[in-house]
Amino acid sequence: MDITLLMSQFMSGLSQGMMLFLIASGLSLIFGVMNILNFAHASLWLVGAYFCHSIWFRLQDYGFALWLSIPLAGLVLAGIGWLIEVILIRRVYKRELPEQLLLTYAMVLIIGDVIKISWGVEDRIIVRPPEVSGPVFFFGIPIDSYFIFVILVGVAVAIGLWLFLQKTKYGHIVRAAVFSREMVSALGIPIPRIYTGVFVLGIFIAGTAGAVQAPVGSITLGMDMAVIIQAFCVVVIGGFGSLLGTLVGSIIVGEIYAFSILFWPQGALALIFIVTAIILIVRPWGLFGTPMRV
Amino acid sequence: MKRYLFLGLIYALALVLPLFIGEFWIHVAVEILILGLFAVSFNMIFGYMGQLSFGHAAYYGVGAYVTGMLMVKASVPLAICLPLSMIGAGICALIIGYFCVRLTGIYFAILTMAFGQLIYYIIFKWYSFTRGDDGLQGIIAPPLLFSVNAYYYFTLFIATAALIVMWYISESPFGYTMRAIRDNADRTRFIGINVRKYMLINFVIAGMFAGLAGALWGPFNRSIAPDLTNWHHSGTPVFMTVIGGPFGFFGPMIGSVIYTFLMAFVTGFTEYWPLIIGLVIIFVVLFVPGGVLGFYESKMKGFRSKASKAEETIP
Repeated sequence: MDITLLMSQFMSGLSQGMMLFLIASGLSLIFGVMNILNFAHASLWLVGAYFCHSIWFRLQDYGFALWLSIPLAGLVLAGIGWLIEVILIRRVYKRELPEQLLLTYAMVLIIGDVIKISWGVEDRIIVRPPEVSGPVFFFGIPIDSYFIFVILVGVAVAIGLWLFLQKTKYGHIVRAAVFSREMVSALGIPIPRIYTGVFVLGIFIAGTAGAVQAPVGSITLGMDMAVIIQAFCVVVIGGFGSLLGTLVGSIIVGEIYAFSILFWPQGALALIFIVTAIILIVRPWGLFGTPMRV
Repeated sequence: MKRYLFLGLIYALALVLPLFIGEFWIHVAVEILILGLFAVSFNMIFGYMGQLSFGHAAYYGVGAYVTGMLMVKASVPLAICLPLSMIGAGICALIIGYFCVRLTGIYFAILTMAFGQLIYYIIFKWYSFTRGDDGLQGIIAPPLLFSVNAYYYFTLFIATAALIVMWYISESPFGYTMRAIRDNADRTRFIGINVRKYMLINFVIAGMFAGLAGALWGPFNRSIAPDLTNWHHSGTPVFMTVIGGPFGFFGPMIGSVIYTFLMAFVTGFTEYWPLIIGLVIIFVVLFVPGGVLGFYESKMKGFRSKASKAEETIP
């Protein structure tokens, strides 16, 4: 097997893994703090991609179009996330797990149709600006420069989240809320505000990620369905509520996908589910999670 | 007694129904029965065992594929296909359930979903065996059941038989053991019951009846596709159960009537069925917890307790 192919496949897997990390980190954070598994996370990710296209489409004559559209799309999604939290999610904090799951699953259906109504059924394509359209040579091996960009965004978000959780006061509160909501609330910290903040942060990251994903290929309806399942797998492999676990899980899933496409194309996704199932059976709390929550 | 009278009435109505409605609505009625059977089998796990299976469509799909492939490739008669479908789905549920019953809550939901997706990808990608994405066409019911009316009565018969069996299981000591496990697994273990074994048996029974429902679907629709096993399809029985109410045996059936009827009605004038059902589900989750059956029963209870209070105040 040729080293160039392996290397480029590795990089493609890494960039895919980083994209999964961007989605799964918010999913894991929201679940860790709020105990709500957000089925609609990838749907909002896709909405981010569509918003990025809409903004880019109006600005495409300018060189900075894409670089402005990505953060703007993220901000729009943060606003949408806030609305969803305040109107819907807040009402089911105290409900049972199936009802919470159903609520977010119903959101998947609604968002899917809202996308269809607002953006139609045609695929959308963003033309990459020249800075990220050619290959970058790495020891003579050509690598898609947009992959590098995706990886950099993933690394930046990972470091940013880590700093936020470990070094800031709000981060400490969020981490404390993962362990004991009652205690945090007893200290006089308004839990609903923490929940809203975490949800908005998670959706902001997902929306930005969708915007970053938009120029990778074309934006199509139903992309979210495959991604959400892979994001679940990532979170399960890494362990709910663990940032490091989510990062490792994302890279594992991205690389499994990239390499099985090379060696066993029919089995790519099946292999991910097999790994997930094995992890769930052997270590239900994941590679880096803590067993206490099982 | 009143309850049996009510059930008898509903059943009599189901028997004479084809005399009054057109072919389209008989189709809808068959769908209600098949999906209702599917949802009731799902509720064996959800309502009686207290675990959310998000991969229940896998067993439905396996049942559909066993019957479909046997009928198309080997021309096996439908009467033999149905029990084989149940056995096929049961074997799948036994293997998958062996692992799933070790977990509970969110982990149970995700593991059943991961295994369900695994089955979906096997059927989807194994083109030479299952014809993959193309699906299977030309699953023709035997001549006796060829007309919609005949197939309706056939489905009604099979579904009734299956419901009676599931009803007996849910009211048997085994069914009450499942309720005990749902309410407190630890205490159930302490009185000497092998919780995992009981959960596995229940999981297999639920899988077998889902397989039976799937088997009925193929000859009705005349074709099947891998989508039957996909996780979206696993959402259908969950919706039906939540709409109808998970705490009564017939709740999922009521949910199936509402869901399927609504779908037939809504898809008549708009393609945005997911949007509508999504809004309905959010409404039910937020405002009618316990579903239609739960709502009805809590109202009745409210009336009754008011009445009894009124009696008490009279000296």
